[in-house]
Amino acid sequence: MVKMSLEPVQVMSGQVAELKVAPSSNGDSAGSWEGKREFDKDHLGLTAKPKPVTGRRARKVEGAVFFPKPENAVTVAVSSRVLFRTEREQKVFEQQGVEEYLRYQIEHENEPFAPGPAFPFVKALETVNARLRELYPQSEELFDIVLVTYNHAHVGIRLINTINHHNLFIERFCMTGGSSPIGYLKAWQTNLYLSADANKVREALTEGIAAATMFMPEKMTEVSESQLRVAFDGDAVLFSDESERIFKAHGLDKFFEHEKENEDRLLDHGPLKGFLEALGKLQKKFYAKGQRLDCPIRTYLVTARSAASSGIRALKTLRAWGLEIDEALFLAGAPKGPMLEKIRPHIYFDDQMFHIEGAAEMGTIAAHVPYGIAQKHNSKHNTSAGK
Amino acid sequence: MVSTDQKTDVKEKEADCPVVVAVTSHAVFESGGAEDPDGLYVGGIAFPLLQALQKVNERLLKENPAESLLFDVIVITTESQQQQQSSRITESIRHHGLKVSRFCFSNEEDFIENLLNNNVHLFLTTNRNEALQGSQKGVLSVLLDEHTASCPTEQLRVLFCGDAVVQSEAGPALASKQAAQSFSAQIGKMRGRFGLFDSPISIALVTSRGGRESCGDALRTLRSLGVNADEAYCLAGVPRGPIKRLLRPHFLLSECFSSN
Repeated sequence: MVKMSLEPVQVMSGQVAELKVAPSSNGDSAGSWEGKREFDKDHLGLTAKPKPVTGRRARKVEGAVFFPKPENAVTVAVSSRVLFRTEREQKVFEQQGVEEYLRYQIEHENEPFAPGPAFPFVKALETVNARLRELYPQSEELFDIVLVTYNHAHVGIRLINTINHHNLFIERFCMTGGSSPIGYLKAWQTNLYLSADANKVREALTEGIAAATMFMPEKMTEVSESQLRVAFDGDAVLFSDESERIFKAHGLDKFFEHEKENEDRLLDHGPLKGFLEALGKLQKKFYAKGQRLDCPIRTYLVTARSAASSGIRALKTLRAWGLEIDEALFLAGAPKGPMLEKIRPHIYFDDQMFHIEGAAEMGTIAAHVPYGIAQKHNSKHNTSAGK
Repeated sequence: MVSTDQKTDVKEKEADCPVVVAVTSHAVFESGGAEDPDGLYVGGIAFPLLQALQKVNERLLKENPAESLLFDVIVITTESQQQQQSSRITESIRHHGLKVSRFCFSNEEDFIENLLNNNVHLFLTTNRNEALQGSQKGVLSVLLDEHTASCPTEQLRVLFCGDAVVQSEAGPALASKQAAQSFSAQIGKMRGRFGLFDSPISIALVTSRGGRESCGDALRTLRSLGVNADEAYCLAGVPRGPIKRLLRPHFLLSECFSSN
């Protein structure tokens, strides 16, 4: 197992000056962002009314933007079942039916839900926002957290009460009463969608929206409150599953051979590439203010590839995309659990349930990206040893 | 705990009466009086809406054959030219299989009186002036346009706009707030006749400008009127257009929340 802490990958010249956030740019190459609205640092006109400060707000930021436009913000949509713990209510729904479920919700309307697996991640996004607002008070390039749920609006008041109780900054939501929220995700230019339901996540992925399924781990290790940490698997998450297909079809040797031959050919993009991109754009805003060492966003690549061989192609691809990743960990097939336990990301994306389960066993909050060839082979006994 | 049975006596009485909906002939049929080969009028903007109202009635009666809380649809002409076309209008209605309980052949001067005499709870028109006049006389008047009404769903979709900013195009009027609230209560009661899924009516709430508190307040306001929304969207400044297109409402109501 080799751990490599790389210096941030050399950014292609000409990209640092562009501070555009590309929404839903899943797989779009850098060139296609040209049409998006350019962020003009001198533009001081407020585009949204500042929200009046109430007793609930811990932060007070004068004149800051609270309702960013979807095309400027990095929109993260979370479902109520991953933001909060709703197991008891789920049980009522499954065992006693929907009418009883709603009655129960309304009866307990003033009882806030407990935090769910996406909660630490959302709190970390808000921490980043606070730092961004300090540096760029007029900017709309922030995280915009939207609650998207299939729940009926009956549950709305309990959800609002819960958001208030936890002092979360969620001002946009969408309760679809059973119909698909995909249209709304698109209208909101969602950059990432987190849900407990794999079917909904798959639907989002087919529509080009980065999405992952979250699970409640039995224990959640403590994570940083001052720095957002996001970890990604490589193949079939940041990159396409093309290499994984080779490995599955022809075995490890063929895989190595193929990667060596194609070392200089870029891998194709995967479903989470756009989200990494969005994170990178925000990171650069901190760097521009001299806060590289103190940056509240840190990204990790945690891959079964090997540093000396197959990992090279991954790094070259990232570099060509102009994406920086703060730490790349090449495990050469070793289990990811222990490494993740050291990193303590707020969220870890992987396409294989085997790794998700391994991570969860050690308390890491992992999100499954149901994409690519691994889905046909997804079982606890499947490994991706020695890539 | 909220229950749709929790009502005052007055509301109980109101709720058992039919909900009288008046639609102008201009809205029911294509404007310009387009005709099909048989010389009958072609369906217009309000056509799908009337079909949805009818479907609701059918389902209500299926649940309870003795149901009295039904939509009572009147077709009303609002100008002399249409007034002359009475037989063609009735024929066209019959031909399209629409169930209309009454026809009011009035003109520009007396249609408002007819609305009042017939105790109309909801007046639907494609004419802005007519909607304004109706509002001013305290009749809940909703302006239909090609976006709000012509959606191809079987389910009647009602959209409540929770921000005072989103005024109905007819313009607010004090008297029509009262009318809006009692109509909403009737819709809420009708919705309560069905379960969560497979309902012929769906009620959605949208707040456009404010944050979650304003949406929460709107949900509570609706609940106090006996309306339990199925869907709720808090946009907090996101452009409404795409959302409205997704929601495909038959019509919009906003007077319940106006600040006057």
